[in-house]
Amino acid sequence: MSHNDSKSFTLSRRNLLKAGAATAFAGTIAAPTVLRAQAATIKVGVLEPLTGNLAYNGTQARAGAQFAIDAINAAGGIKSMGGAKLEAVVADAQSRPDVAAAAVDTLAQAGVVAFIGCQASALGLASSQAAARYNLAQVFDVGTAEQVVERGLKNVFRFTPGVNKCTSTALDNLKLLNQNAGNVVKTAAIVYEDGPFGSNMAKLLNERLPQIGIQVVESIGHPTPQRDFTNIVLRLKAAKPDMIIPSNYINEYTLFAMGLRQQRLEAKAIYSILGGAASNIKFVREHNEAAQYVMDCNHWYDPRKPESQALAKTAAAAKLDMTYDIMVAYACIQLIADSLERSASNDREKMIEALSTSTYSGSIMPYGPTKFVNGNNEAAQPVNTQIRGEKIELVFPKEYATAEAVFPIPARG
Amino acid sequence: MKHTSLGEWLLYGAICAYLLLIYLLPSQAWLGFTINALIVTILSVAWNLLGGFGGQMSFGHAALFGTGAYVTAILQVKLGVNPWLAAGLAVVAATLVAGFIGALSFRYGLRGSYFALVTLAFAEVLRILASSFAFTGGGQGILVPYKAGLANFQFADRITTYTLVLVMVAVAMLITVAVQRSRFGAYLIAIRENEEAAKALGIDTFRTKVLAMMLSGAIGGAAGVAYLQTYLFIDAPIAYGSTMSIEALLGPIIGGAGTIWGPVVGTLSLHLLGEGAKHLVSGAPGLNLVLYGVLLLVILRYLPDGIVGFARGIGRTGQAAAVSVKEAQ
Repeated sequence: MSHNDSKSFTLSRRNLLKAGAATAFAGTIAAPTVLRAQAATIKVGVLEPLTGNLAYNGTQARAGAQFAIDAINAAGGIKSMGGAKLEAVVADAQSRPDVAAAAVDTLAQAGVVAFIGCQASALGLASSQAAARYNLAQVFDVGTAEQVVERGLKNVFRFTPGVNKCTSTALDNLKLLNQNAGNVVKTAAIVYEDGPFGSNMAKLLNERLPQIGIQVVESIGHPTPQRDFTNIVLRLKAAKPDMIIPSNYINEYTLFAMGLRQQRLEAKAIYSILGGAASNIKFVREHNEAAQYVMDCNHWYDPRKPESQALAKTAAAAKLDMTYDIMVAYACIQLIADSLERSASNDREKMIEALSTSTYSGSIMPYGPTKFVNGNNEAAQPVNTQIRGEKIELVFPKEYATAEAVFPIPARG
Repeated sequence: MKHTSLGEWLLYGAICAYLLLIYLLPSQAWLGFTINALIVTILSVAWNLLGGFGGQMSFGHAALFGTGAYVTAILQVKLGVNPWLAAGLAVVAATLVAGFIGALSFRYGLRGSYFALVTLAFAEVLRILASSFAFTGGGQGILVPYKAGLANFQFADRITTYTLVLVMVAVAMLITVAVQRSRFGAYLIAIRENEEAAKALGIDTFRTKVLAMMLSGAIGGAAGVAYLQTYLFIDAPIAYGSTMSIEALLGPIIGGAGTIWGPVVGTLSLHLLGEGAKHLVSGAPGLNLVLYGVLLLVILRYLPDGIVGFARGIGRTGQAAAVSVKEAQ
């Protein structure tokens, strides 16, 4: 290094120091102004199973929550709080209840005002109980087990419908569809995964289907994972049910539906309640023929709303499939934002109050004004979807429908 | 007699310092994390008693953990039994289940991988049964209502829960020390080293192994009780799933099987490693598990005697080393 170089370095270092000192001084003077001008950030927790067997649902939900936060911030943030921006604090529940409960400590420590989660009842039950210690509100995106809202916890807000509501709506809709079609469906077969979700649903359906005039001729359980459905399909072929009700997770649902097509088993209807793949566009895209006319009663958004259409575009731009996980997480953040707007406070107690008295109807879901009774949103309702061509169409209730239901399924040959 | 090396003193000192530091740190997240790690530590100590000292490698300690948790939950939620009494009965139930599994397995001379498979099968059977019956809550599990209070064995103040779990770990370690110093412990180690030779020396190997299993069951059941009273929820996959069985054996194997401190050092290290990995790659969920797995492989490759074995070799005095060599001979 030359002498000149050294000199110039010394000079520039001095200049740098001077500039630094001046900036620090100016910063000290100007800081209060800057702080006054800049709105505070409000932290919202996103507790989802990002790893483990529910990772797909969890990562989709995390994306949905982030889309909502981005949209709210882009629209000016929380106006009653001077345009305060929302910030997601993401925690991984690892598909394990104890981890979900432990993650609540992290969220509480990070200073979140409320959090959404956790895509599965078992995770949500543990996390909401842990959150009760902090008086921290949990807005359930998915938590269908009725235990969620039967514990008298003041911090629980289940925005989406529970299993009782989903089942009763699904059976009411099925009864109506069947009546309109001249009661063509008289018998049904249930194929269920033998875990908590599938076995409980099978039990419920075995009790309730005869009440709407449909006899259950077969009820076949299988473990998860299960890769070969040939024997199950052959048993169904022998039983010849008018309708098949699969009650299992995405992979098994897909393989079972493919098995039905391969064995050329014609049924008048394939009808699911909270079906694993029945409302999943991946299933439609990859197994289009097998997926045709499959009907499901599940969480779904109101596709006619402009915000829903914007969300669909955002998801497509992010190369994500538009699943209900994205929709419900998005809607839950909207609900929290509305409550913040009304409470105009970062206080957890006030957030619980605001959620309890919420009458919000502006979410992307096809729900009326929110009404929480013991933490259960009485206005929440599932809808019936049907796979038609390349799309998942909403066919029930009529006011939100994008297509007419096709029931029974036309013969496919 | 074994001398504690400088490395061991440092290691145990660091563990104790960390556990005491929790009282000083205001962090709820670290408190929650450590409570969880200590509950698993209790189960690891239970496994170590049977697997580490007795050489009976169980792959189904979740069966004992789950029984402890489920029996406490059923007794207090469904039958209204006092939670403390329910906890005591749960420990008894886990002991009996362990005795049953042990008696059945050892009666037919199952050892090594066969014993491991049978214990795994028992845990799986219990998992399926627990998710099938209404009195175990079926697939929904059992939720204990949150009513903080000493009478309910629930504490609003989490530091009390921490203290309780810490005391349970200490008691479990003291039981291990007592076993190690007893004639029963010597029998157990003899069986681990050479069962045929032990039998030839007149040791009732069946009785010793079943007793070890029952003692392990009691401690494992206590871990289940601690889990339930902390998280107030149990379902079949948590209680009897393979995750718990794997966690039970990983700690002692990493820490040093057949040592007093092994399960404590191993379990806490693994949990700290997992948490550290999580913080290191917080932006990419799942990557922490990859990092955790890689580090685990490195530990297994380079520390065959576990962390305690490694620490034992650090700062060992000449006399201690000589004694150790003599012991080995």
